[in-house]
Parts: sequence; C-alpha cells; structure tokens
Amino acid sequence: MARKSSETTNKLNRRLLLKGAAAGSAVVATQAIGGFPTVWAQNTKDVTLIHAGGSYAAIKEIGEQATKDLGFKIVMQAITDDVQLNRSLTQPNSIDINNIDSTKLPYLMGKGVLAPIPVAKYKLWSETVPLFTKGSYPNGKMASTQGLAPIEAMFYAGKDGKKLADKPTEFLTMIPTIYNADTLGIRPDLVGGRDKVTSWKDLLDPKYKGKTALVDYAPVGVMDVAMALESRGDFKYVDKGNMTKEEIDKTIKIMIDMKKGGHFRSFWSTFDQSVNLMASGEVVVQSMWSPAVTAVRSRGIDCYYVPLKEGYRGWFVGLAPMAHLSGVKLDCAYEYMNWFNSGWQGGFIAKQGYYSAVPATAKKFLTQDEWDYWYDGKPAAVDIKDPYGALMEKKGATRDGGAIWDRMGNIACWNTVMDEDRYLTRRWNEFVSS
Amino acid sequence: MLAAEGGRPWTFYAFAAFFALFVLFLYGPMMVIYILSFQGPSGGMTFPLNGVSLHWFDALISQTRVGDIAGSFQRSIGLAVAAAIVTVVLSVVAALGFRRRFRGSAFAFYLAIASLIMPGLFVGLGIALTFRLLGLGTDWYTSGLGAQLTWTLPFGLLIMFAVLGRFNRSYEEAATDLGATSWQRLREVTLPMLLPGIIGVALFGFTLSYDEIARTALTAGSANTLPLEIWAMTTTVTSPALYAIGAVTTVVSFIVIGVALISIAVIQRRRTRGTGEPI
Amino acid sequence: MAILDQTADESAATPGAGAEHIAVDAGGERASWFQITPLVVVLALFFGLPMLVVLAVSFFDFDRTDIVPAFILDNYVDLFRSEVTLRLYTSSIKFALIVWLVTLVLGFNIAYFLVFHVRTVLWQIALFLLCTVPFLTSNIIRMISWIPFLGRNGIFNQALMGSGVVDQPLEFLLFSDFAVIVAYVHLFTLFMVVPIFNSMARIDKSLLEAAHDAGASRFRAVAEIVLPLSKSGIALGSIFVVTLVMGDSFVVRTMSGGQSASVVSALQNEVAALQYPPAAASAVIMVIIVTLMVAGILRLVDVRKELAR
Repeated sequence: MARKSSETTNKLNRRLLLKGAAAGSAVVATQAIGGFPTVWAQNTKDVTLIHAGGSYAAIKEIGEQATKDLGFKIVMQAITDDVQLNRSLTQPNSIDINNIDSTKLPYLMGKGVLAPIPVAKYKLWSETVPLFTKGSYPNGKMASTQGLAPIEAMFYAGKDGKKLADKPTEFLTMIPTIYNADTLGIRPDLVGGRDKVTSWKDLLDPKYKGKTALVDYAPVGVMDVAMALESRGDFKYVDKGNMTKEEIDKTIKIMIDMKKGGHFRSFWSTFDQSVNLMASGEVVVQSMWSPAVTAVRSRGIDCYYVPLKEGYRGWFVGLAPMAHLSGVKLDCAYEYMNWFNSGWQGGFIAKQGYYSAVPATAKKFLTQDEWDYWYDGKPAAVDIKDPYGALMEKKGATRDGGAIWDRMGNIACWNTVMDEDRYLTRRWNEFVSS
Repeated sequence: MLAAEGGRPWTFYAFAAFFALFVLFLYGPMMVIYILSFQGPSGGMTFPLNGVSLHWFDALISQTRVGDIAGSFQRSIGLAVAAAIVTVVLSVVAALGFRRRFRGSAFAFYLAIASLIMPGLFVGLGIALTFRLLGLGTDWYTSGLGAQLTWTLPFGLLIMFAVLGRFNRSYEEAATDLGATSWQRLREVTLPMLLPGIIGVALFGFTLSYDEIARTALTAGSANTLPLEIWAMTTTVTSPALYAIGAVTTVVSFIVIGVALISIAVIQRRRTRGTGEPI
Repeated sequence: MAILDQTADESAATPGAGAEHIAVDAGGERASWFQITPLVVVLALFFGLPMLVVLAVSFFDFDRTDIVPAFILDNYVDLFRSEVTLRLYTSSIKFALIVWLVTLVLGFNIAYFLVFHVRTVLWQIALFLLCTVPFLTSNIIRMISWIPFLGRNGIFNQALMGSGVVDQPLEFLLFSDFAVIVAYVHLFTLFMVVPIFNSMARIDKSLLEAAHDAGASRFRAVAEIVLPLSKSGIALGSIFVVTLVMGDSFVVRTMSGGQSASVVSALQNEVAALQYPPAAASAVIMVIIVTLMVAGILRLVDVRKELAR
C-alpha cells in the first residue's frame, strides 16, 4: 500500500546508513539522505537540541528519526503560537531550534534572540524552490507581494539581523521548511454542489448566514474578510496584507454589522474546532487549513477546498537557530536543519497536504502514486489514506486545486504582520465585544 | 428536614432528585466523550458512532502521532502531587496562624486574594521575565510548580478558613488543660480533627494543578505538562484522539478518588469506633 | 478571660466555640507570623515579584514590535478613555453576576442536601467525590464535548426534535452567551458547594430540631437559621466564583465561538500581538477592580472575623 512502500524505502536507507557507518567513515554517502551525519560523531553524542513549535511540525516521530539518523538527540516540544512567541522573548534559552512562522519574524528579529543563518550553511539552497530563493515561481513570474511575501521575509539586511531585506542577501532569517496555500473549505453536500462557491465574496453571501466561520486571529481573520470585500467590489485595498487605518476601519465596520446580523456562526481558535465545525455541519463555508479538510474527509464527510477565482492566502514557516547556540551545538543545529529538508520530514508531512521547501528530496520518500496525487495534482491511482490509516480520497479523485504550482502559483496575499498591528488589535477587540 | 427515625420527609426525595439532575448535568458531556472515544478510525464527533473499536486508545499507546502523552502525564501527576502536598502544608499552617489577630494579617490575606485574581497569563509572564533577569532557566518542577502554587495556595487558604470556622476549640482547650504541649496538641488533637478538611484541600490542590494551563504555559520550560500537550495537540489532532485521552485520564482520576475515599473511610471508621457518632 | 467572648458570638449556640485563650500571649502574634511566613514567602516570590514586573511594564511605551522601557501613563489613559474597556467589563461582570446567582442557588441546595439529608459521613463524601471526578478530565476536552451535545446537530437538539418539542434546532444553545453561562455553571458550581458545605456542616442539628419543635416550618427554619449560619461559606464561594469568571478567557472564547467579550480574552489578544504594556495596564486595573469586588463581599460577611475572634 502507499504507506508501506515508503516504510520499506526508509528501512533500506537506514540499512545503507548503518552499513556505511560500520565501515568506519564519518561521511557516509547514501543515496537517500545525502551525507548524514557529517559532524564527527564523537563530539556530538551528548548534544540535545530542543525543537519547539506548532504540533504540525514538532512531531515526536520526526524527532526520533532525526535522532537515529544524526547521532545526537532531538527533543520535540509542541507548543501553541502565542506561547512560542512569548517564550522566545522571555525564556529564549529554553528553545534551541525555533519553528518560526514568517509572521512572527518581525516581532522576534533584532532582539538578540534569533541567529542569522549564513547561506553557505544551508546545503540545499540551490534545490530549494525559487519562491524562497528568488521570490519567483518556477516559470519566472514574480510572486505576489501583498502581505509578508517570502522574498520580504527570508533575508536579513545585515549580519546583525536587525532589519529585513527585500532582495536576496547572504544571511537567511530561517531555513524554509513548510508552506501551503489556504482558502475556504465548503460542504458541497450542504451548499448544493462544488461549483456553488467560486469566489471569495461567497463567504459573505447572505445565503450562508449563520453558517460561516473564520479563524479567531486578527491578522488572518481581517485579511479573509478583505479578500471577500475586494472580490465583492466594495472597495480596493492598496495592500490587503498591510492595511491603513482607514482600510481597517472600513473592514471592521462591515464585520461588526455582519456579526450583529448573525452572519458568523463561530470563530475557531484551534484546528480541532475548525474540523468539528465543518464535520458537524455547524458551518458550511469556512476559512480553514488543508489538513482540516483532510480530517473532515477521513470521517466520510465530503469537504472541498475551493480553488477560488481570486487566488489563495499563502503562508510559510521555517527553522531558525536561537542566538544562544554556539560551538558544537550550533554545528549540530545546522546539521539538523539540513536534515529536516532532506526528505524524510518532507515525505511525512506531505500526506497532511503541506509542501516541502525542497520537493525533490521529499519525492524520494513518497511513492510515485502519492507524489502524483499530492504534488502533481494527478488523479489518484490508488485509494489515498490519511497519515493515520483512514481513507481520505478514493482512487481517481484529484487534489483540490490541482498541482503544487496551480495552487502556490496563485497566491493573492501572504499571511502577515501589519504596520498598524497595534491599531488592528484594538479594533479587533472592539469587534469581538460588539 | 431531620426525621426522627427511619422515614424521610418528602423534601429528601425532592433534593435527591435535584442532586441527581445535577450529577447528570456534570456527567453529560463526559458521557459524550466516553462513548465517542470508542469509534473507529473514521470517527468524528457526531452521533451515530462511526465504527466501534479501540483504535484511538491504541493510537495513544503506540504514540505515533498523538504527542508525548505518557511523558506529559507523568509530569502532570508529579506536579499535581507536589502542589497538593505543598498547598496542604502551607495553607493549613497559615490558616492556623490566622486564628489569632496579628498585625499584617490584612496584607497577607489580600496578597493571597490578589494572587487568585491575577490572570494566569501574567503570572506566567512575570515569572518567566523574573527568572530571566535572575539568570535562571524555567523548568516544570521549579518555576512551573511555583506558578501553580500562586493558584492553589489561595484556594487552600480560603477553604481552610471555611473548615477552621467550624472547628470546635474545646478539644484543644481540654488537651491544654491535660498538660499537652503546643506541639502535642497540634499533632494529636488539631490535625486529626481537621483531617477530612485537609484531604479536601489536598484534592483541590491536586485538581487545580493538574488542570492548570495559563500559568504553566510560560513557566514549564522545555517539557510540557498534560494540559499543555493536549492544548498544543489541538492544532493538529482531532476529537476522537482527544476523547480517548479524556477517557483514560478519567479512569485514572477515578482510581485516585477511590483511594482518597477509602482513606477517609478508614479514618472515620477508626474515629467513630465505640461512639457511633462521627465527630 | 476569653470565655466572656462566647456570648457575643452568633454561633454561641455551639458549645465551646469562641474560646480564645489558646496561646493568647505576647508570643501569640509572633507565632502567627511564624505560621504564615512560608505561605507569604512563596506568594511574594512567585506572585509579588511578577506583579511588580507587570506593574513596571504597564508604564512602558511600545510600537509595532518593540517594547520600550519608559514611564508613561498613556496605557492607562487609553484604557480609561476607550469605550471598549467599558463594554468588556460590562460583559464580564454580567457573566459573573448571572453565574454567581445560578451557582449560589445550585450550590446552596446541593450543600443542604449533602449536610442535612444524607445520613452517613461516608455517603456525604462519596457523593461529594462523585462530583469531583469530572474535574480531573482536562478542561479543554470537556469544552470540546459541548459541541456534539448542544450543537445544531447535537444530541440535545436531536432529542428535542425527536420528541417533538421543537421542529427546528435551537441555535442559541451553542456559540452564544447562553452556552458560556452553561459552561461556567458546569465548571464552577463545585467551588460554591465546598465552602457552603463546610459552613453548614458546623451548624448544630439540635438547633433545627428545636425550631421544628417550636413549630417553625421547614422553610422558615432554613431562612432564619441555616442561611445566616452559612454566610461565611456563601461569601467564600462567591469570592471563588466571581474571581474565576472575571479571570477567564478560555471558556468565553470557546463557548461563544469568539464572539463574546471578556476582559482577559481581550488582554490575551494583545499579548499574542506582543503588546505587553497595554495588556499589563489592563491586568493591573483588572486586579484592582476584582479585589475591590472581593473586598465588597467581605464587607458584607467578614470571613476573617469568624476565624480570629
């Protein structure tokens, strides 16, 4: 089956790895994970690195595999976004590898908490998708810069890591790892078909009054509404990802009216809530994440992740070493981050619907059928199961939205931190209390 | 109210029915959790059940994706026990102190009240910052425990107020008259009589610590407690797995409660032997 | 000596209570100080210090992503000028009052049942613990379980529709103020029961028998004997419930679907955006206001006086 073959592949690679190590050479050329471990094992065996981040990345299994492959210990700690942000600032020594969301970068940089990464240390730079290295799609077209686009968040202006650059430089803010394109999910069975929702404005359609939901997080919630308003023709934003005070005011006013009119059933703050809202039929149109759609489907309920006319909302995360690391520990940190993008992790999370920054390596850890379905948008040649064994997609179905660049190549706006963040928070609180 | 012998007034049945409804209300959501946790892999959170199996319990044990439940559970229990013990000792002693009038009693009292009121988020932030300024690292068994104590101690203290309020001092007087030293009086008269109340405080302290999130989140350091682990998991895991966790932790709690109940029963039995009337 | 104090006490009917001559010597005060020291030390260290830090931060300045040490009053001024503050407090206090009332009625009746109608102590404790077990299941999980219970397609609605009481699912059961209050009552009633139980348990049953013999109806006996004697338990329970509701953000957010406001959840939004100074100011104000509420309750029923006569 799909999963078993990747397990066999893993076993083969591991066996080669061990064979090579037994031969006594520190640098093992295996066909799969190129050249791990490269740091002399003697120095590193007592090192422990704490990788803290969201539970979609800080997965115990990944940590265990890394420990096996690398020789030093990786401990995963799953924490929520706000805890991560606050701990990074108030207790930075309690984290070694920070699983950083692009939108948290402006808060953390320049405070001596994160360490810039010299490009040379990232061995897979040339194989990373150009979205991160150049800010463009494989076909050469430049990606949208509404919101905090990759090209604006990947590079530090200088070695001190105090400012961001909007062109490639020598110093990376993070090693990009996971990214995806988010959109609205719908219940085709409850709205009357997959073609009933085609545009962001359908989110605000009175037809769905009391049956919609958004995420309970100001920067994203407001942006979703902005996409809908712009698509509906109410007004045009200069940059939906960086609104002015007036734009915020206009958007919030409409949101308050809609809230009073009972348009929104709920605002969800956890993945689990979003899945339950959809699965139980409390809402039929909702802003949600890709694995949430997977989860709803695996319960035997039809859920469609709509490729909307105006495009997707994009996001990306990466790994950043904390500033307090040095010496052997820092070397191990680079080693681990390189390992992270060397395929095993990419193959693992692909089945949740996330893309790896280095697809070529992830491909080695997926079966051809899985690759075709998840990355190439081809019809599934076999039944597709979710990572935990439940049937998610029947043979013959295609991934919602198609291939990776059908989706990632159509980003209207990136997740962001706005300049008027302070004002936005205040008005969001007003919206909630109205 | 109190019928003389045997028969009960109609109000007993009214109250009993009321109580039963309340218990039903308490356990309602719990029953949903227990039943839904027995679903198969396609299980969701609506009825009817989507297959019946132990799939999710198995997932808990094999630990592939449902986080570090065992580890965080151990930490939570350890922390809860520590918090319960410290809370009992400190609150009982302090409450005994409050039995006299003394200067500064208002300050101490309101310190405890304010500690109760302060949002846990800020207690956590404050402790994290303070520790950082002092150059110390945060860990679940140091700063985590301290943070939780700011929550459990005020509760413990206030409950001891309620317990001591009903305390009959003539026994202590009698002991003193018979020549007991303060220490002897404490050990042999006061504490044994307060024991059920003390166990109540211990139980409260345990439960409050076990379920605590806001304060612990920023002070636990690099290892999660169970509520933190569950909370982090809600970003990728869905209900049936969480329900399985809920069912398992409830079973464990039943065991803990059972032990507490038995120990109280034994104490009461020992005490009422011969008099037939509980003190 | 202190035996004279006995007569002035409201619980004078309880023999032996009110005696104060235990250790009432010059060393008494010192002994008390000694006894409260461990508690005070722990609280001072883990609450007092952080509180000072928070207080300091509340005077800092800040821009989009930086917190600048300073001493400005802007955070407090903004707080008082903003209309949102008023709405947040109105909302939170509204919840607190309603929940307080409901838990009081529930708690009083349950405690009464346990104290006066349940015969053996063992049964009292067993029933008591029966109520405690749900608390040992994580709050998060219990919150989640309300959706299949109260949702549009949940059990409750299905039962209502199935039995013909309504023909459309009741929407207000979930993601509404109603749901928030139900959840609060579910979580906090026990905090009302425990202190009231403890207060009631000390009431001498012979008092009630005497009243009964004198011809008082049950209701009158409750109103004139049980109620006044349980005052301190009620006060303590009220303090617990009010404090818990005012300090909550999780229940409000989850059960209202993010659409009802509370002081602390608004605070949390600010902290999530790293806006510590205004959040800190909000926290300081909140602590002051709720402490005043508690002091108000204590003014009505002086719990400490009952203890230290």
